[in-house]
Order: sequence, then structure tokens, then C-alpha cells
Amino acid sequence: MDTMVNTILEIIAIILLALLIGLFFLGLSRKITARMHWRYGPPITQPVIDIIKYFNQTSTSHGYLFSFGLILSLSGCIVLLLFLPFGHWCPLSSSGGLLVVLYLMLVSPLGLALSGGEAANPNASIGISRKFLLAMGYEIPLLLIVVGVMSYYDTISIVEIVDKQLQTGCSFQHLPLLLSGLAYVLILPAITGMRPFEMIQAPQEIASGPMAEYSGKFLAFTTIQHALNLFIGISLFTNLFLGGASNPGYFFLKTLVVLIVMLIVNAVFPRFRVEQAIRYLWKWSSALALIGLIIVAIT
Amino acid sequence: MNLEILLAIAFGGSFITYISGRISKKLRNIFAILISVGLIGFIGSLFGNTTEETICPGFWNFPLNLRINMLSWFFAITIAIIGALAIIFSLQYIKEKERTDFYYLMILLVNSSMIGIVLSGDLILFYIFWEIMSWSTFLLISYSRGPAISAGMKYIVMSIAGSVAMLVGILSLYTHYGTFIIADLSNQLSLNTPGFVLFIFILFFIAFGIKNAVWPFHTWLPPAHSEAPSPFSAILSGILVRMGMYGFLVIFFVIAGIDLFINLGSRLVHFNTILAWIGAINIIIPTFIAMLQNDSKRLLAWHGVGQGGYMVLGIAIGSSLGIAGGTFHIINHTSYIALLFLVVGAIEYCTKGIRDLNSLGGLIKKMPVTFIGALVGACGLIGIPLTNGFVSKWLIYKTLITDGYPFLAFAALLGTWGTILSLFKFIHNIFLGQLPEKYKNIKKPPFSMQLPIIILSLIIVTFGIIPGIPLKVINQIMISSGIDSLNITLWGVNSETGTINMLNIFTALLITGVLIWLIFKGSKKAKQIDQYDNYTAGTYVPKDKYHYSVEFYGPLNRMLRPYLKDFIDTFYLKLAKSVKNLGNGIRQIYAGDIGYYVTYIVFFLALLIFIQLKWTLW
Repeated sequence: MDTMVNTILEIIAIILLALLIGLFFLGLSRKITARMHWRYGPPITQPVIDIIKYFNQTSTSHGYLFSFGLILSLSGCIVLLLFLPFGHWCPLSSSGGLLVVLYLMLVSPLGLALSGGEAANPNASIGISRKFLLAMGYEIPLLLIVVGVMSYYDTISIVEIVDKQLQTGCSFQHLPLLLSGLAYVLILPAITGMRPFEMIQAPQEIASGPMAEYSGKFLAFTTIQHALNLFIGISLFTNLFLGGASNPGYFFLKTLVVLIVMLIVNAVFPRFRVEQAIRYLWKWSSALALIGLIIVAIT
Repeated sequence: MNLEILLAIAFGGSFITYISGRISKKLRNIFAILISVGLIGFIGSLFGNTTEETICPGFWNFPLNLRINMLSWFFAITIAIIGALAIIFSLQYIKEKERTDFYYLMILLVNSSMIGIVLSGDLILFYIFWEIMSWSTFLLISYSRGPAISAGMKYIVMSIAGSVAMLVGILSLYTHYGTFIIADLSNQLSLNTPGFVLFIFILFFIAFGIKNAVWPFHTWLPPAHSEAPSPFSAILSGILVRMGMYGFLVIFFVIAGIDLFINLGSRLVHFNTILAWIGAINIIIPTFIAMLQNDSKRLLAWHGVGQGGYMVLGIAIGSSLGIAGGTFHIINHTSYIALLFLVVGAIEYCTKGIRDLNSLGGLIKKMPVTFIGALVGACGLIGIPLTNGFVSKWLIYKTLITDGYPFLAFAALLGTWGTILSLFKFIHNIFLGQLPEKYKNIKKPPFSMQLPIIILSLIIVTFGIIPGIPLKVINQIMISSGIDSLNITLWGVNSETGTINMLNIFTALLITGVLIWLIFKGSKKAKQIDQYDNYTAGTYVPKDKYHYSVEFYGPLNRMLRPYLKDFIDTFYLKLAKSVKNLGNGIRQIYAGDIGYYVTYIVFFLALLIFIQLKWTLW
């Protein structure tokens, strides 16, 4: 019974912390990008202020799927959180491991796409199409990397991968995984949808894409979803390549460092067009990841 | 005795249905449904039986046997269920068309012959039923005439090639062991040389591979699936094609045995590794070709080819998890591809035959049940958690990774992402976006069309959350074929290198979903607005031309199109053309004029005399 209560407490703690960290990251990324652009930028708490504001505004809906897709997307994100070790917390560790994580990563974009499609706004549809194309772009290197990591540690359990790294040093210290790690660094901004890969929303071209029809509480939910997504993308990288962490606080610090480094590198790039992005992702990061996988397979 | 009665009902029933159709349409429909539903009950009652009976002791001195065991039962019940659902769906779908009696006869005949195949205990009966199935399928594929005739032609030519290969295989087995009975043949093959075993394997691989549309024998499938009537496409893609998988299971694991199958080959390369790579190619190429399709049925047909790759890959690895995954994937594929074809059929019915993905849109508001069916089916095909496709794919991925096949695992995973792209296009272009004015007054499909869609959706979700039910049956099959069993729980699989538990995932998704929904409900209510009430950043919105669907993945298509050609199909067509030219050339000799023939004879005699004079052979 004690373990049961512990698990439930862990689940609640993970969700709340991830939400807070995600919103903090969102605010921080806007601030840092602004400072890099010689702007002052909004306060770090801006996303939280936004969410509170959105909940008080009126909203319009295009039908049941319009809401259902969003709910599906958000619950997909939250369940995904429970499969990723947060420090030593991982409440659903024994339910399928990294393979389930890969599949749950589909639920969130799919939900958002269904909701956006129901909006009957071509800008939204264009945004969705771009999202899937971009996903196709980064999934190829990502799958090569993840398969490489799983084969190297000979397990599909993400908790075991973290444990082995805690014993023998993080994945970057294992030479066969070095190239895979570098490839992951290259695709990380695409996974989190950051600059230069923000063609999905691209306000100047397609009126914020899938967000075009959202208002009020819908926008609040998408902001939360966006925040969680940012955290999940970085968290997966931290767990697979930076050795996770033995406690949640340390884990948070690691993800923060990753975020800041990523922002400083990427804030100066202009936006890619979608085919440029695919070409970039398939050429450089896939080549690195493929060589990485071959090295892992040989050794 | 039971099995004879079963087949008698199945075959007799199809002819009774045909005859009763001459009397009244209603009577015929009642018969068709009674027989197909009755078969489900009959086969269901045979669960757990393992018998073998001789129905005819001396058919030209060969005994003909029927048998049932877990493997046959597993396939038979799937055939019966899909057959019944397709027939219920046909009631409205086929009503307006001509030659309906013939349609029902053929569809029932296909079902009966498939049940015959899985129940036959010797290779003669197996071959006979196989041929009945091939020919009745040909007649059904070309049912709509027009382009359907050439699609059917392509199918039957390849099918005959497969049958010939199978006949050679069966006869070679007979000359070596003197029996056609499958039970007597099992585990005999290991006594022979590896060369002979390989010969047998290749022959049966061609025979069953053509039916199963394994690359490079897949080219008949896309036109056949898209031209056949939709309810029959569901049967065709769902289970008929998978008779090839049944054949693989029989030849590799029942007749040859798992040890022989895994160990056949030299140190450098094994037979099953080659098979696994064929499976991997079979996943990737068709899945990406599917992305370029604009015809909804053709898109699904290419996925039918692609998903076959997972099954081949699973059983080719030869580990318990792989075989369980591959076999489980057969029925999963059956359920969701049949569902999707029925959905397309419903749309075809309601829009008067539109299959083009570029001219539909917004139909979710008009046919919500069909949409839910499409969504569940698409999720199953992609393998989203909580659908059955996820569990079988998980088993296959896991065995690939932990047994050390990283590249095969990558190929299998990549197939999933190709699938999500084309399936989302399928859903988006049909159901989402703006509803065109011409479909404003469209009616939703009748109940007899919705019922099969609902039942199949329920099956997909149930097996996704409680995969233990089918997996326990599959476990029995594996035990009886001498393969190590798995530790199956009701909610998933336990093993020392990683477990899966669908209950956890289900509960987690359910609770978070409900909580978010409550928050959503609790906050301010949203105002419902019309589809034309859109934010378009200040630009003018032309009504009715505002659905982004043509070239949905334009940039990627432009990048990939040059590489994604079905060059195997081109090769076959060229081959067919050159054979035709050769035939034409040879025909020129037979001019039909007696003078020519006399000349030929004189020349031939002159040649003989010349040879004799020169070399004195005789």
C-alpha cells in the first residue's frame, strides 16, 4: 500500500513540476532569444500570465473533435511524462519502456492535428502538414539514434539505460555512442519546435498554423501543451545521453543547461523552409546517426 | 464428422443462397447472413478441439484428411467473422448493382474455400481449396468490369504462377516421403539434405509470397484491392491475402519445424535472415509509395502490402516474441484494414462512388460514426497505444532490438512514421477541413453499414487494451508447434528483458484524459461557430475552394517521387510485353497457307539429310 501511495505522489509531483519547469523554460527561452536579438523581451512569468488571461477570455469552437483533439494531445503529453525518468522517479517504468515512449510521442501531435483539421482553416492544415513533414524529417535520425542506444545497452527499458549510465558514465563517454549523441544535438531544436524549425507556426506566413483558430481556453491548453513538449524533448535527451540524474533537482539543472546552450546556438538562425529542414535533417544528422548505429552494431 | 458438416454448410450454403436469389432478393439476403453468422457460431463451438479425420479414404488412392487445431481454429474464426461483417455491409452497398446473386455466391464461396484451406489436413485438399479461392477471387475482383478486368487479370496470372510453384513443391514432397498428409510430413524434412529443404522453402515462398503480396511479388495487389467492390476489398486485404501467412506458418513451423527453419543456411547467411530483410524492404517501400497515392483504396492497398512485411519480419526472426508478434499482427491487420476498407466503402456509397482523396472533405459532420471507425482503424494501422496494432508491433520491435538486429528494427520503426503521414492525409482529406457545398445534404450511411464498422472498432480497442485474449490462443499455437511459450498476462507480456502492461497505459491515459476534460468543461463555455467563420489574416476566403488537400505533403512528394517508383511492376509489365511480342513472332510462322507448311517440311527434311550426309549420325 505504501508503494502505491508513493507512486501516486510521484505521479502528481512529476506532472506539477514538469508543468512549472515547462512554463519556466518557455518564458526563459523568450527572454534569452529577445536578449540575443537586442530586445528587452517579456518577463519570464509571461506564459503563466498568458494562461490565466486566456482562461478568462471567451472562446469559439468548431465542433467536438476541435476540443477532443486538444484534450487527447495534452493527455498524451502528460502520460508521456510518466514514462520518462525524472531523476529517480519513473512511476510507469515497467510498462513497455522506450518503445512506448516513441509511440506516445505520436499521440500529442496527432491530437493537435485532428483538432486543427477540424478547424476547417487551410492555414491550420498547412501548419499540420508542415508538422508531419518536419516529424518525418527528424524521426529518421531520431529512430537511428534511439535504436543505437537501445542496442548498445541491450535493453528497451529507459530506466535501465539511465541506471547503466549512472554506473559507467554518461553516454557521451561511451565512444560508440558519441556520433549518435552529436546527431541528437543537431535534431533537438527540431524535436522541440524551436528556431530555426518553427515553420509550423510561422505567424508571418500561415497565421500561426494550427493555432489560427484557437482562442480563450483552447489557447491556454495549447500553451500548456507546448510547455510540456519543450520539457519532454529536452528530458528525453538528458535521460538518453546525459545520464539522467540520481535526484530530481539535479535533473532539472541538467535540462536547464541543455536548454540554454540550445537557445544560444539557435536563436541567431533565420527560419528554414520545410524542404530545407528535411534536407538538413536527412543529410547531416541522419548520416551521423547512421554511422553511429553502424559503429554500435559492429562493436 | 463436425468438420465435414461445417464445410458442407459453407459450400452448400453458398449455392443455396445463389438459388434463393432467383426466387427473392430478401430470402437471399437472409440466407447469406444466416449462413455467414452461423459459421461463426459453429467454428466458435469447435474451440480447443484437436482432431484429424479422414473424409475420403481413397481419392485416387490418397486419403483426404480434414483436421482442426489451434492454428486452424484461429484462422477459421477470423475468416468467419470478417466474412460475416463484409456480407452485412454488402446488403446496402451492393443493392443497386447488377448481378448481385453472383456476387453473394462468389463472396460466400471465397469464405468457404478459405475455411477449407485452414481445415485441410493434407496437401491435395489444401491445393484444391487454394484454387477455388484463387478463381472465385478473380471473378470478384473483376466484378465491376472496366479497369477491374485488367486488375483481375494481373492477379490471376500471378496467382497461377504461385499455384504452379506450390504444385511442384507438393509433388516433390510426395516423391520423397510418399504422403500428402501434413501431420505425417511434419519434422520429416530435417532428414533430407539442406539443398532439398531450401528448394522446398523457395517453392513455397513463391507460392505463398505471391498470395501474401511479399515484395517482389506484390504488384498484383494495389490494382486488385482498389478495383474490387469495397466489402470484398475488406476480405481480400484482411484475410484472403493472409492465407499466404497461414501457408508460411504451416510450411515453416508445422512441416519443417522451428529448428530447421532457424538453422538453415551457411555460416555467412541464413535463410531466415534473408526472409527478414525481404520483410523489411516490404515494410519501407510500399509505406512510402502509399504516401503518394490520391486514391483512398489504393492508399490502403499499399499499406496492406507494407503491413505484410511486419508479419514476415516477425516470423522470420524465429524467436518466440517475434512469432507471437507476427501471428498477432495477422489478426490485427485483418481487423483494422477491413475496418478502413469498409469506411471507404461507406464513403463511396454516400458520395456516389468518390474515392479520390482530393475531392472530399469535412465529412466528419455528416458521418460521425464512420469517422470514429476511420480514426480507430488508422490508429490501429499506425500502432498508437491502446489499439491492437501497437501490441503486435511492440513485440516485433522488442525481439529485433534485444536479439541484435538494429537495422531491421530501424526499418520496422521507420515504417510506422511513413504510415502516420499517409494515414493522417487519409483522415484529413476525407473527414476534416471544409465540407464542400455539394456534400451539404449528404445522408449518413445506413445502419447495416455502420454496424460492421462499430464491431470492428470495438475489436481493435478491446484487443489493444486486453491483448491477453488473442495472445493466449497464439501461445497455444506456439506450444503445439514446439516453440518456446511466452509468459502472457491478460494485459500484456512479461519477460525478463522488458514487460508491457496495457492496463497501466490505459488507466493513465483515461485518468488524465478525464481530468483534463473536467478542467475543460469547468472553464468558460466556447461558442460554436460555422466552418466559414475563420481567421485568415485578412485575406478573402473563396467559399468551397478552401480545403488544403491536394498535394498535402507537397515538398516531401517532390523530393521522393523520383525515387519511389514501383520498378518491380515495370519489370513485370516489360516481361509480359516481351512474352507477348515473342508469341506474336512465333505466330507469324503459322501463316495458315498450306504452301508454307509444305515448304517447312521440305526444309526440315533437307536439314536432316544434310546432317546425315555430313556427320553420319544414324
